[in-house]
Amino acid sequence: MAAAAATAATKGNGAGGGRVGAGEAAGTRKKKGPGPLATAYLVIYNVVMTAGWLVIAVGLVRAYLAKGSYHSLYYSIEKPLKFFQTGALLEILHCAIGIVPSSVVLTSFQVMSRVFLIWAVTHSVKEVQSEDSVLLFVIAWTITEIIRYSFYTFSLLNHLPYLIKWARYTLFIVLYPMGVSGELLTIYAALPFVRQAGLYSISLPNKYNFSFDYHAFLILVMISYIPIFPQLYFHMIHQRRKILSHTEEHKKFE
Amino acid sequence: MKHYEVEILDAKTREKLCFLDKVEPQATIAEIKNLFTKTQGKSLKDEDVLQKLPVGTTATLYFRDLGAQISWVTVFLTEYAGPLFIYLLFYFRVPFIYGHKYDFTSSRHTVVHLACTCHSLHYVKRLLETLFVHRFSHGTMPLRNIFKNCTYYWGFAAWMAYYINHPLYTPPTYGAQQVKLALAIFVICQLGNFSIHMALRDLRPAGSKTRKIPYPTKNPFTWLFLLVSCPNYTYEVGSWIGFAIMTQCLPVALFSLVGFTQMTIWAKGKHRSYLKEFRDYPPLRMPIIPFLL
Repeated sequence: MAAAAATAATKGNGAGGGRVGAGEAAGTRKKKGPGPLATAYLVIYNVVMTAGWLVIAVGLVRAYLAKGSYHSLYYSIEKPLKFFQTGALLEILHCAIGIVPSSVVLTSFQVMSRVFLIWAVTHSVKEVQSEDSVLLFVIAWTITEIIRYSFYTFSLLNHLPYLIKWARYTLFIVLYPMGVSGELLTIYAALPFVRQAGLYSISLPNKYNFSFDYHAFLILVMISYIPIFPQLYFHMIHQRRKILSHTEEHKKFE
Repeated sequence: MKHYEVEILDAKTREKLCFLDKVEPQATIAEIKNLFTKTQGKSLKDEDVLQKLPVGTTATLYFRDLGAQISWVTVFLTEYAGPLFIYLLFYFRVPFIYGHKYDFTSSRHTVVHLACTCHSLHYVKRLLETLFVHRFSHGTMPLRNIFKNCTYYWGFAAWMAYYINHPLYTPPTYGAQQVKLALAIFVICQLGNFSIHMALRDLRPAGSKTRKIPYPTKNPFTWLFLLVSCPNYTYEVGSWIGFAIMTQCLPVALFSLVGFTQMTIWAKGKHRSYLKEFRDYPPLRMPIIPFLL
């Protein structure tokens, strides 16, 4: 039973696999799981999030049909995207209070990187909002999150359709690189505007003897994808092999 | 009285976890559970005597590979030598750090020279303590730690030193008054920290690994033991706060904050193990901050 689950993997989260971890893979370990009140709350939370990302998906489709092109669709889903992605910060709280058996550190890292992209890049640098790369990661995230939150919902209710499990551990193969590409291209597109405006940057001299160059920081963030992305991607592949073959074996014995 | 042999297996894997061969017939399940956890849980100490272990006549010892190890002394020396050296590179404005016109120039602010002295003496103190004062419980730590620790110490040292020794450095807002006060805090806390290290050393004879409750001595700096379990950490945080006020440098304040967080975690752990080990541990003591934390 995969209680409202586990984390690991996916920096920036382009992935369809989303978070995977010990809680599910170790099928032989009996997990205590959250109490009935916590479970009810988590079911509601996950249902709301699934609905939220469905709203974003539908919004994208409708905007595309109305406009006749896939450019600049960001504006049509900007508000729900910000609302529901930022709402995911609650997941850090869930881990911290123990109703979800995942690492606080790992969850924080994942959620914060998404929130960073939404607010500190896309929202802050208006000029990138019309870039196609934004659509790339928004689509990747949307599909990923719809599957991930429904996965958690079904798991909590102890009724997980194989299709959802399959989708979660398979679609990431395409969605993860897609999302990462979208994210990197967006950050890259933002660079000249950040430099020009001196966005979020402080220079010397000042009385706190501190300086920060947001432009350089963004470049460092982009570089950090190089070690992090392969690790997470191959971790997911490994998890996929473990979890999907495990289910296959169980089916054989039925 | 006939003794029982009790075999405990893992319910799922059927693997043999423990074999107790001299169990009293009167023993309750609770007592058996206790014997079992004692033989599983924490690792055995080098000093433990086989006969005294609760394992009957057949002892099963579980081996756990801790991975590549490195001595504490080596790690400490490396992680402390770095900041000492690195800070000086910035202080002397070695080429390629600041603009070329500043190469090998000297700051015109007194506080910058003072800060270099304080920072350098602090790390010299740490190196000397590592060589001559500290008595370590464990000989080694995982090898991975040296990379982690050095990144932390060396990285922060470079970051702080860059700003303090920068040609565009701005001296403290309240001038000499602020610097004097900060220096006093720094010196007092350094003396305090050193006093605690000496007191802890004296608790333990050379070559031994015994643990005793530390108490205040004649040295007034050690009276902080009345209120906290780890006054060495309290004084260390105090020193860095002093240094932050002295230099009025945000990176120093951040370094102090991170250090404080880590030391609080250590202090809480130490405090907890004192409480577990000693029944008569003084109840007034907090881990690191008197009355608060």
